[in-house]
Amino acid sequence: MTHLPGQRRATDAPERELVDRAQTGDVAAFEELIGAHADRLYTVVLRLVGDRGEAEDVLQETLLRAWRGIGRFQARAMIFTWLYRIAVNESNRALERRLRRGTTVQVDDEAVQVPAPAKDGPGNRAEQRELRDALELAIADLAPPYRTALVLRDLEGLSTREAAEIAGVGEAAFKSRLHEARLKVRASLGDTALVAAG
Amino acid sequence: MRWPGRRDEHAWSQHHLSHYVEGDLSSRARRRLEMHAHECPECSRGIRAVRALLRLLHSSGDRSDLRAPAGIFDRVRVDAAHADSDAEQAHEA
Repeated sequence: MTHLPGQRRATDAPERELVDRAQTGDVAAFEELIGAHADRLYTVVLRLVGDRGEAEDVLQETLLRAWRGIGRFQARAMIFTWLYRIAVNESNRALERRLRRGTTVQVDDEAVQVPAPAKDGPGNRAEQRELRDALELAIADLAPPYRTALVLRDLEGLSTREAAEIAGVGEAAFKSRLHEARLKVRASLGDTALVAAG
Repeated sequence: MRWPGRRDEHAWSQHHLSHYVEGDLSSRARRRLEMHAHECPECSRGIRAVRALLRLLHSSGDRSDLRAPAGIFDRVRVDAAHADSDAEQAHEA
């Protein structure tokens, strides 16, 4: 039972039962509850940290923290929002560690995928590839708060309210980060290339 | 109050194109940007570029083919067991 963006709501009855059981230490219930969201969590973490190996480590830490924190989860909240918030915090922690080590931040090929052009051909494919590479680099160049805003809102398709809650900021501050992130990505790609891509 | 010059208007418009496309401007600010963009090919193209960027990002967003690594919960269980064991040892010491 994966909830798509815009379809999430407060924890529903079957989910609440799983939460109740998980909160009493039922590992199977926890795994069933969280397992329904694991693929999307992995996707968002991969988009934030950019590297598959690191994304796996961050996901593992996210799930461990969720297991330790499930007892404090309030059933009136949405499990998905709660998990996303842990995942975003863990991803940002990983990015900060990487920054301290002085390692370059890069987005993995899998993190962003530009769909095939309507008119397929060698020229179009090469242009799409270039655009995809440029988009990956532009996202990788964003500082973590801006990358988080862009990933949650424009790639994950969450509402501003959900994304702001996950990022842990007010809606106005979130929108400011989002517009700034788009401005930077647009500047990196260039208006000519974007308009040509349509 | 200084009346904004054309350069000010251009810089302001360029900075607010995403706000405009997203519908985040007041009606007054929206009219201000539209008036400038009507006369400025660069800002007019900028609006199309922001719309294209959003289409590109949204269409790149569907990665339903990505899967969490197999056995991730096994790894979490091992981690949790280690953490519990470490805590017990620390308590006994």
